[in-house]
Formats: sequence, structure tokens, C-alpha cells
Amino acid sequence: MRYLELVQLAVSRLAAARLRAVLTMLGIIIGVGSIVALVAVAQGATSGITNRIQSLGTNLLTVQPGSTTSGFVRQGAGSATTLTLGDAEAIASLVDVAAVAPQVSTQAVVVAGDKNTTTSVVGTTADYLAVRTYEIWQGSFLTDVANQESLRVAVLGSTTADDLGLGEDAIGTDILVGGIPFRVVGILQSKGSSGIGSQDDQVIVPISTAQRNFVAGTKVRSIAVSVSSADGIELTKARLTSLLRERHGTDGTNDDFNISDQAQLLDTFSSVTGLLTLLLAGIASISLVVGGIGIMNIMLVSVRERTREIGIRKAIGARGSDILLQFLIEALVLSLLGGLIGIIAGVAASAVIAAIAGWGFSFSPLTVVVAVGFSLVVGVVFGVWPARQAARLDPITALRYE
Amino acid sequence: MIGPVDADTGSIPATSAALPIQSPDPEAASAWLRSDGTPVIELRGITRVYSTGRLEVAALRGVDLDVYAGDFLAIVGPSGSGKSTLMNIIGCLDRPTGGSYHLAGTSVETLDDDDLARVRGRAIGFVFQSFNLLPRTSALENVATPLLYQGVGRHERNERARAALERLGLGDRLDHEPSELSGGQQQRVAIARALVTRPVLILADEPTGNLDSASGAEVLRLLHELNAVGTTIVLITHDSDVAVAATRQVHVRDGLLVS
Repeated sequence: MRYLELVQLAVSRLAAARLRAVLTMLGIIIGVGSIVALVAVAQGATSGITNRIQSLGTNLLTVQPGSTTSGFVRQGAGSATTLTLGDAEAIASLVDVAAVAPQVSTQAVVVAGDKNTTTSVVGTTADYLAVRTYEIWQGSFLTDVANQESLRVAVLGSTTADDLGLGEDAIGTDILVGGIPFRVVGILQSKGSSGIGSQDDQVIVPISTAQRNFVAGTKVRSIAVSVSSADGIELTKARLTSLLRERHGTDGTNDDFNISDQAQLLDTFSSVTGLLTLLLAGIASISLVVGGIGIMNIMLVSVRERTREIGIRKAIGARGSDILLQFLIEALVLSLLGGLIGIIAGVAASAVIAAIAGWGFSFSPLTVVVAVGFSLVVGVVFGVWPARQAARLDPITALRYE
Repeated sequence: MIGPVDADTGSIPATSAALPIQSPDPEAASAWLRSDGTPVIELRGITRVYSTGRLEVAALRGVDLDVYAGDFLAIVGPSGSGKSTLMNIIGCLDRPTGGSYHLAGTSVETLDDDDLARVRGRAIGFVFQSFNLLPRTSALENVATPLLYQGVGRHERNERARAALERLGLGDRLDHEPSELSGGQQQRVAIARALVTRPVLILADEPTGNLDSASGAEVLRLLHELNAVGTTIVLITHDSDVAVAATRQVHVRDGLLVS
């Protein structure tokens, strides 16, 4: 009951100096707010990236050509063109391989009626649909026949179809891809991702047609391999490696291809985002410490300013512990209130950022608990010293203080 | 441990309608007087030496003093005589260097800081020259604050504070802050604050020092009325005109009492 009275006393003392209280809390508000916002943003970004990687397809292995060396300069991965359609067919005959989709790609202007857009043109096979887990919205996907005959048919991504103003009645109409007429046979269901590298913004044509019209030669840019079960990924990866070494005549020191899987990709991203989260939270906690020092400052000034008040209180029966508690509770109220306002500000900021960036807004109660705990600790740590100074004042000296 | 210094001993029920201040409980008052004539204040050979670096200054050099329940004592002395030091020791704000001090039968020099604070809160009511009210705090809250530190509940606290202020004729000033009151009114709030805990002793340090003569006379008249109904009062002053208000005077000179 005494504590409740002291809380009321502390609140009424703070209310008597409102502006100062708000300014003191500002440090804590910014500190806690930025921690909450940064952690929420990092979590949102991580789950956004994870979702996007997973929507690329399940149990997916990607084979890419290795790097080439031009002069003494080693080029980036994928710069060599060592993969062929033959490799893709050989891979398809391995056990545990559910589907194989070799790919070539280029950029081209696509024209439909009076509308046009620049997008990526992907040449691939019928398996692409299954490997990349797309679904058909209208019409049908590429067929094996279309590949054998190098037909000029195209399947549109949902974004591309929108850009060109094509809807369900577009099936069977003709568009120009890089100036060459193609017949639209299907439109894909949207995967819901957006921004640069969207999986919904592309035109898909038979790989043989693409090789003939857009990317001279029989080389393949990458081969996407869908493994029938998640358990088989490591084994299939090993089989793939030995198969390709055999076909390309390499021995592990001079491989001209590399195989990556989603787990690797996810690992890389999560380690990067984890590090980023830690870094940002670290920076934010510096401002929390600075805010705590601000509270200590104000409380010390307040002890000096209220020396006489402390003397009076002691003369009329306040014990050292009463004074200590009064000042400690004032510091705690400041930091807790600041923490709560900071949480509200942080959650609001992260909701706005999530809305702008287009990933799901995630709110973790753990962050709130940690932030409140943190501001409590700041209040106690930085409140104790001034409070002890106040409690130790000699009543006679304090009463005489002007 | 501080048995007689209980909050109940000095309770003040209404007996005289003519006075603005209610008298102390006659039972309790006689209990003080009955206890083998034990004085409220009993000082024996009190010394107080201040040491500042190598210099030692004896402010009190062996003071013996008895104050009995119902006394109105004036301690008179010029500045530098040691009367402020004596007041600090009587008020349990300071400890003597030597000698013994019994307040209402309790030996004070054995008490620790917390117990001293408790004694100040329960047994002594202070009235200071500069009022020493809490700033930006209403009269009611000022008067109720000593009770807060005794653990009295909010409701009872406010009732008792209101009653004390009404007795001192400030019933219409409960919500006023010190800065909104005249000097005389502030000193009356301070007296109400001293009375609200029903102390065994009111210690008034130059209570008229900051007041014009009319307000000063009013404060002295109030102290007189309080004493007339049994409150023990010790008045510290340098002004012999003020001191004549008391029924008994002692003079301090160079750290010693002279009669």
C-alpha cells in the first residue's frame, strides 16, 4: 500500500513538471521504438524473402554453368555456356528426379495490339510448370510437341498479361515477341510476389523456339531439377555431380558447373538477415543507453533542485528509504512510460514500413516483453544513483539549502 | 520501544467550543504528568562539537534541560549562541556529541536514522521560520504528508488534514498552494502540519521571523491557545519580545544555558 502511495506521489510530482518529463522520456521512446521497429522490419523482411524463395518451387536443385576465365580474369558464375539440352535429358533419367526444366532466357519487347512491355523471355520445356510450381489460369502450358516442332507459342505471366491488357479472351490471339509473332496459348496464375525479379512478369516459350529465334546456339542457361522427396536432395545432388562430371570430363578440380539448392539459399539469407537484425538492434540499444543517461541527468538535477523539499520531507518523518523509493519510482515511471510510448511508436512505424514494402506485418510479443524489461532495467540502473544521493541528504543541510 | 510516543497519545477530541483549537485528550495529558514526573524532554550534559578540518568548534558545552508536559518554554539566545544546534538536537535532526537525551522517556542517542525519522514524524511537530511547505502542493496535501510517512490511509489522512486546517481557520484554503497564500496563512498551514500527527511536542524555530507584526502576533496567540489546552511547546527565538509569550524562558549563551 505504501508503494501505491509512492507511485501516486511520483506521478503527481512528474505531472507538475510535464515538459521536462516528456523531454526526459524522449530518449527512451526513441530507443525502445527503434528496437521494436527494427526487429519487426527485419522479421518481416526475412519472412518475405523466405516466402519468395520457397515459391520458386519445392525440393528444387538448380544447375548452372561454372565460371569461365577470360585472360586472367575469372568471370562470374553462369558466364560459361557448358550446359546442353543433352545434359537435361540425362538428368531426367536419374532416379528420384521428378521433373527437369532446362532454361534459356533473354529480354525482349512484347507487343499486343497497341500495348507493349519489356520483359524476360524464358525458353523452357513442359516440366517448367511442375518444377516451378506454377498453375495455369487460362488455356494450357507448353507441350512436348511444341518443343519438338519449335512452335511459336507463348505462355504469359500474370503481370505481363495485365501489362499487355490481355485477359481470358486472349487465348489464341497473336502477340509479337522481339518482333516475331507468337500465339498465346496460356496465362499463368499469379504467385503474388511483386517488385524486381517478379515471378509473374515473364513470357514463356518452347526452349527450341527460343534457341532458334533469340539465343543462337544449343547452350542452356540453367537446368532446374525437381527432386521427388526432400530427403533425397543430398543424394540426388551427389548423383547429379558425378553424372555431369562424367559427361563433361571433369574431375572436381575443374568443374564447369555448380549445383545449388534452396536450403543453401535460405541459409545464406537467414544468416545475413540475422546479422542485420543483431546489428540494428545493437545500434538501437545504444540510443536506449543514451536515453537512460538522460534520465539519470534529469534525476540528479532534480535531486539538487529539490534538496529543500527532501529536507522538509525528512523533517516531517520521511525515512531515507521513503525518499529513495520516491525518486526511484519517478525514474521507473519515466522509463516505463517512455517504453510503452516507444512500443506504440515502434509498432506503428513497422506497420507502415511493412505496408510500403509489401510484406506481412509481424508483431512479436517477445519484442514487447524485452523492450519493457529493457526500459525497466534502464530506469532502475540510472535511477538508483540519484535516488541514493537524495536519500542520503542530511536533513539539516537540506533544510538550509537555498 | 517508543511506547509513549504513539500517535494516539496526543489525540485531540473537542472539549472547548470557544477555542479554534481542540484540546488534547485530558487522559493522555495526565498520563504524561502522572508518569513519575518524567519530563517530555530530558537533556543531561549535552555537548555538540563540529569539526571542520583541523578546527573544532563546540556549539554546546554541556546543556541540562527538563521540559514537562504542558510547558511553554522559550529558548532565547543571540545568533551563534548555539540555540539552533540545541533545536536540531531536541528535534532529532542532529545527534549530540556527548550527554544523554530522553524524549518522552525514550533514549534518543541509541536510535538509528530510520528510528529518528519515525520519532520526528510521530513525536515532534516542526514550525520553521521559513514555513518550509512543499512547493506546488496544496495546503491539504502539505498537512497530510506527515501522515503519509506514518502509513495512514488516504481517506483518514485527508480527513485529519482537513480538520487541522479548519481548526486553524483555513477551511476555505484547502486547495491553495503555498505561493497562493500570505505569510501568516503559510505559517498557519505549517502549524496545522505540526499538529496533525498529534505530537508530544511542538518545536517552533523563530516562527514569527518572516512575518509582519500582526501575523506574528496571530501566530503567537495560536501557540498560546494550543498550550492553554495542554500542548507542550518549545519556542526558539533571538527576540525577547517574542519570548515573553512563553510561560518559561531559558537563555543560551556560548553553548551553555543561563537562567
